[in-house]
Amino acid sequence: MLSAAATPLASRSFLITPNVGLMIWTIVVFVISLLILRRLVFPRIGEALDNRAKAISGDLDAATHTREEAEKVLEEYRERLKEARAQSEEIVQRARQAADTHEQEAKAKGQDILAEAAKKGERDIEAATRRALDDIRKEIADLTILATEKVTRKTLDTADQRQLVEQALNELDFSGISTGQGGSQN
Amino acid sequence: MSAVAGAPPITPGTGDAPEKRGMTRGRKIAYSVVAAWLGGVIFFILIYGFKGNKAPDVASGAFSPVDEFRLDTWFEAGPVAFNKGVLYLLIAVAITLGLMIYVARRLKQRPGRLQVVVESFYDFTRNMSRENLDTNLQRKYFPLIATIFVFILVSNLIGYIPLPVNSGDKFKIFGAHIPSLQIFAADTNVAYPLILALSVFVLFTYEGVKHHGPIGYVKSLMPGGVKGPIVLLIFPIEIMSNFLRLISLTVRLWANLLAGHLLIAFMGGELGVLVGDPWVSWLLLPFGVAIFMFEAVLIAGLQAFIFAILTAIYIGGSVESH
Repeated sequence: MLSAAATPLASRSFLITPNVGLMIWTIVVFVISLLILRRLVFPRIGEALDNRAKAISGDLDAATHTREEAEKVLEEYRERLKEARAQSEEIVQRARQAADTHEQEAKAKGQDILAEAAKKGERDIEAATRRALDDIRKEIADLTILATEKVTRKTLDTADQRQLVEQALNELDFSGISTGQGGSQN
Repeated sequence: MSAVAGAPPITPGTGDAPEKRGMTRGRKIAYSVVAAWLGGVIFFILIYGFKGNKAPDVASGAFSPVDEFRLDTWFEAGPVAFNKGVLYLLIAVAITLGLMIYVARRLKQRPGRLQVVVESFYDFTRNMSRENLDTNLQRKYFPLIATIFVFILVSNLIGYIPLPVNSGDKFKIFGAHIPSLQIFAADTNVAYPLILALSVFVLFTYEGVKHHGPIGYVKSLMPGGVKGPIVLLIFPIEIMSNFLRLISLTVRLWANLLAGHLLIAFMGGELGVLVGDPWVSWLLLPFGVAIFMFEAVLIAGLQAFIFAILTAIYIGGSVESH
């Protein structure tokens, strides 16, 4: 297991004596490594890191820009929403006013119609009353003539009859009938 | 009547009941390891005795643990000698270049784990260069600093992988003589850090002379505000400290790696071999594992980082005026 070769203590100065061959190997191998790394490796890694840094910076800028735009859009949206609310409130107010006005107009119109209908009814009633009075007059006249003929046993000619009846009727007051109270004032 | 009858009654539902139910799995493993460790110590004492016998080579002084770090030439190709230091260098450069080129050719916008590690290393080294060098020097020397960092780091890390490179001690498999397994690193030989430190020294001196001029550079080594006769005292010290940078760079890396490997080897069994007591090897094994972890996880990276950042500081400092 152990080293078979006897090594004099004096020859153990190899520890602090540089091995010239290893020095040459080291510097040659190191310089080759340096040249290869400098040419093939470090520029690529540096470029990749720079590109990534740029990409990250670009992404951050884009994100900031997007956020600003989003905030702007949100502000606009809020503004529009506010306007829309104001407009909608105004519209509702107008609609309410219009509805009130319409209601009042409709009420007024209805009242007018009612009033008109009432007047028309009154007129119709008056006309019907008048017609009824005329009919009553005629009936009364005919009855009067008939009664007169029976009383006088004389036939009255038409002109006389009429004159007589008209005269008699004109002396009668039908205002009680027309107002629904009836009866004569005689 | 009996021991059971005299025992205190068991009261169910007490708060201590769950704790007495059993140990956790981790605790069981820990107790088992400690038991195996102590049992091993007792076993080796029983088998080999408390005071064992040293192996003949140890007793004669022929064996020394540091011999494992000797660079025996395996073969020569013309003027080029090949030894285990060269092997570790080539393994280090193969892994460094292979890994870095592999990652560089497969860079993605969404990086994988390996790419993240390499990019983090790159970013860390670039920031280190930026902090110590001006823009022009940073552009010029960043590749050097990064290469020093990764090259030493990989060299250090592979130095903790046992490989069959101990040509001083071989074992037989199917008749073939295979070198024993050993942990070794190229920078446990002083040649490796020395040539790198020498290169750094030449570069920062060159930059200093280029920036200040030869006389100006020498003057720039003096701290600002020192005037009068004290200059005669300070100036030699500053000149010496400038050259000591070369030695400090070299020795810091070399001594740390060599001492770390020796400690791991000692604690991992060689101390027991030296004193001739197998139980000592078994006793120290956990400490060996702990030192191995400490060296591999912390020292390997730390020494690479120190060498790289000192390179940046020295080059950056050489163009500054005091």
